[in-house]
Amino acid sequence: MSALLSLSGLNRRFGGLAAVSDFSLALESGIVTALVGPNGAGKTTIFNLVTGNLRADSGQILLHDKPIIGLSPHRIARLGIARSFQDLRLFGHMSVLDNVRAATEPTSWFWQAGGAAARQQRRERVETALERTGLSGLTQARAIDLAYAERKFLSMARIIATGARIWLLDEPASGLDPRSRAQFVDLLRSATAEGVTVCLIEHNLDIVTEVADRIAFLDQGRKLAEGEPADIMQDKALAAIYFGDRT
Amino acid sequence: MLFAQLVVAGIQTGLLYALTAAGFAIIFGATRIFHVAQGAAFALAGYAFLMSNAAGLAWPLAALLAVVVAVAFGVGMERWVYRPIQRHEASFFTVFVASFGVTIIAQSLIEVSFGRGFVTLSTPLTQARPLLPGLYVAPVFWIALAVTAALFLGLAVFLRFTRAGIGLRALSESPELLRSYGLSSSRLSVLAFAIGSALCVPGAILTAAVTGLQPSIGAHVMLISLAATIVGGIGSVSGAACGGLLLGIAENLSITLLNTQWSEAASFIVLFAFILLRPRGLFGLASTR
Amino acid sequence: MIAYLVNLATLTTIFAVLATSLNILIGYGGIFSIAQAVFFGVGAYAAAQVALHVTPDLLVASAAGAGAAALLSICLALPALRVRDEYFVIASLGLQMLAVTVFTEATPITGGFGGLVGIPPASLLGLPLTDPNAMLAACLGFLVLVLVLTRVLMRGSFGRSLMAIRDNDTAAEALGKNVMVLKTLAVMLGCAYAGIGGALYSAQMQFINVESFTLDQSVLIMAMVIIGGTGTLIGPLVGTVLILLLPAALSFIPGIPPTEIGVVQQMIYGLVMTLLMIFRPGGLVTLRTRRQ
Repeated sequence: MSALLSLSGLNRRFGGLAAVSDFSLALESGIVTALVGPNGAGKTTIFNLVTGNLRADSGQILLHDKPIIGLSPHRIARLGIARSFQDLRLFGHMSVLDNVRAATEPTSWFWQAGGAAARQQRRERVETALERTGLSGLTQARAIDLAYAERKFLSMARIIATGARIWLLDEPASGLDPRSRAQFVDLLRSATAEGVTVCLIEHNLDIVTEVADRIAFLDQGRKLAEGEPADIMQDKALAAIYFGDRT
Repeated sequence: MLFAQLVVAGIQTGLLYALTAAGFAIIFGATRIFHVAQGAAFALAGYAFLMSNAAGLAWPLAALLAVVVAVAFGVGMERWVYRPIQRHEASFFTVFVASFGVTIIAQSLIEVSFGRGFVTLSTPLTQARPLLPGLYVAPVFWIALAVTAALFLGLAVFLRFTRAGIGLRALSESPELLRSYGLSSSRLSVLAFAIGSALCVPGAILTAAVTGLQPSIGAHVMLISLAATIVGGIGSVSGAACGGLLLGIAENLSITLLNTQWSEAASFIVLFAFILLRPRGLFGLASTR
Repeated sequence: MIAYLVNLATLTTIFAVLATSLNILIGYGGIFSIAQAVFFGVGAYAAAQVALHVTPDLLVASAAGAGAAALLSICLALPALRVRDEYFVIASLGLQMLAVTVFTEATPITGGFGGLVGIPPASLLGLPLTDPNAMLAACLGFLVLVLVLTRVLMRGSFGRSLMAIRDNDTAAEALGKNVMVLKTLAVMLGCAYAGIGGALYSAQMQFINVESFTLDQSVLIMAMVIIGGTGTLIGPLVGTVLILLLPAALSFIPGIPPTEIGVVQQMIYGLVMTLLMIFRPGGLVTLRTRRQ
């Protein structure tokens, strides 16, 4: 069976530094894959390569067996790959509702295609996204006026609203209190139950073991190991790298 | 010989632009503040020199007064305009509009105080003398050359070898690094404004002597030095200097190709070419956000 | 006195169109242009040429003005797409300086320094607009059209996309927004509005020359938007009224010689812009009041 999204042999250098070297990964439908590794391991760079914000020096990225390298970020987004950012990048001066609505409107024209039926569909997607993230009561607040956890959920609401089937999440649970974290885990579970494919970067290993089906361990741009969470977590060599670099 | 004559004139104008642009670049590099009111400092310094000189002050004292006015203006801007803004919002837009507003205020104050027309200084130094057959050069050209060279040399030494100079350069690269160095960044930003503002004084005085001043001179100089900064690469002091020189020469040489109406436009054609083809400028690093 | 007031009202209406046009760029698109007088001028010249040689109909002239301005707006869109804030402001300033030279030199189209004289009084769908009141009504009609269109577009997906790009372009791209197309459309729309303003202006004045399309005019329009409040529908209107009433108000203050009113006016709006940026950067009408 071929993967939904497959990265193979990706390389990317910044100046003399190899940020990503010979990186391969296959994302299967409905599976949560976690990218784990010390800071500077190249995890966010991999996201940027997939989303077209950076261009790989070499290697291939296939979505449904079609190459997507070289497409611009908005085209890749329209193919059904949504991402979140570590620094969230909300539309600060817009309301919560408008932040989410903006995620459902990719047509770059004075109006959206599809007429009333499509409008109704978009409205439903916005409502679902707001409900699942618990933001239904805050629709009129400006994004910059939200509390930290609310901002994180708004960033998730945008992703849900895009209707994308592949989510790339950059530290989605960092800084969340235990209750919000549980809410986030629920959110992720219900998405994968519907067949959404998730790839996430996460430092909190508790969350990783809780939600991930597979783990890819990176250091200095290379994938050192990939496998089931239980196997990876027990690897002492990896733990040494991970915790060694973190302190 | 017309060509050589125009190159000389171009270098002379370009040197003045270079100094003002370098001043702007020092301020922008160290503080990330887009200080368009640099043009106002230029105009205020020029008028301070002319008026005090006309009132009977000896020229070295008048020049000193001009420096004091420019530095006081720059430091005042930092203290009372930019710092309060950056306390609540540091967006480019807000800082730019405030600075632009001050430029308008300065221009209209000058207009009210000294009238709309040209004011100038008559001095034998601007009378052209033959250097080669057909090539006339006024003594003021050599003065401009010497002053600019001396200032850039001084600046280079300052930025490379003094503690504060190294601090200023570090500030543009990483504010964190600086803290470990034991220098306060707010002190340094005052210093950047003082030096940057002082650098436009020679240009202001020489312009007063060569072509005269009018209230809108500040806006004109601001435009050219901003353009020079972009052509040279934003934040790079030597780039700004080269950009200023290049634009001065382009402005004068364009007279041979086009009619005089187009000489100012020439600078902006150069600017547009750079923005579209090489936005990093001559010496710029990758264009950052 | 009545004639003076009607004339002032008509000019205010025309400048309200201009301020709204710049607000599309600055307020919604985050495209900080100081070259709006260029497109005001392009529209005015195009409309004047149509009125002189084709038909005095204001609709046709406005369409010509809007079309010409939208076409030439590519000069603004190109740098807006290629470079960031600091660079773009300078590029727009450069465009403004360049345009003044072109307006002065392209005598066959613009009449050079002398300008275009004897522009025939406008008509609208066959009705003559020679009566100043009729002209005022026509200009108000255009303003209402522009405002309604702006409101519909900015409250709709186009406005949301634009504001998303303004607030964070990388995130907007990650949601599938084509930044290049959207910014170009915003620039074209804003400049087309300015072209309409130019067409109305040339019909109202029946004489235009380069002096109305200089950097000072661009700065005036910018002041209207910024003082009134960016990114709101009413803000620029408030700003326009305040700034255009200022000279009239100043003339009632004893001690200011009439020749100095222009300078005092400039000083005041310079001061107001600076103070607003320090204490209330959103402008007089801020977003917060619009959203509970």
